Amino acid sequence: MSAVVTNGLFWLLALGALVGAGTVALTRDVMRMALGLGVMLLSLAGFFAYYGFGFLALAEVFVYVGGVLILFLFAIMLVHRTTAGRPELESRNRVASIAAAAGLSALLAFMLQPAGSLLGGAGSAGGPAALSRLLLGPMLIVFEAAGALLLIALVAVVVVGGGERE
Amino acid sequence: MSLVLVSCALFGLGLYGTLVRRDIIGILASIEVMLGGPQLLLVGLGASIDHGAGSALNAQGIALVIIVVAAAEAAVGLALVVAVARRTRSTRLDDLTEVKG
Repeated sequence: MSAVVTNGLFWLLALGALVGAGTVALTRDVMRMALGLGVMLLSLAGFFAYYGFGFLALAEVFVYVGGVLILFLFAIMLVHRTTAGRPELESRNRVASIAAAAGLSALLAFMLQPAGSLLGGAGSAGGPAALSRLLLGPMLIVFEAAGALLLIALVAVVVVGGGERE
Repeated sequence: MSLVLVSCALFGLGLYGTLVRRDIIGILASIEVMLGGPQLLLVGLGASIDHGAGSALNAQGIALVIIVVAAAEAAVGLALVVAVARRTRSTRLDDLTEVKG
């Protein structure tokens, strides 16, 4: 790919991620917020593919867009079914929140300046086969712990959300 | 450098949403945005500084673990939201003062 195409793709994905994140932070409509979250997550998946991590991009789409976002939509529909129309989101402490968020992210960007000089183009990522050798080799304990965490979360969700039969 | 700025902006927008929202679902969505920024920077750095040491592969593994943990967090959080809403008929933080000291 030529440099122009690569740069254009990067900024297109960055625009998608930032617009989605801005929608999540700023909109007053809860459905638009869920859509903004979807746009941001898809842009993140696009970034992963941009850096050569095809499997990671696919996992992001499956788990986040296919799982977490649908969970959000179900929660919105379950929770807000009683109120008529779309629920409004309200905000508070606007100025202090802007100051805290802008200050902290500017500080982070300043601290991460040395890392910025290391950033370059996409490297050779290694396909799913290499990833599976990593996950079932050196990272086996982490992998199993993540699986156990998911199982515990599943049980917790059933206990917390499914109880109270009338 | 641009990736650092993008990921810090994502983190900042998520933090702003977390601070400014009054709806629990909005706060959870903002936390997801906040998680996305560092994850993006991790993946970008891992892909960029791979000099045969396998850092790209390690970044991929760590990012996968982040995805799993975030999915578990969102599932438990939303189940709590639904349980709380069933009890109090509201998801606004101002109404959830039952356990206030």
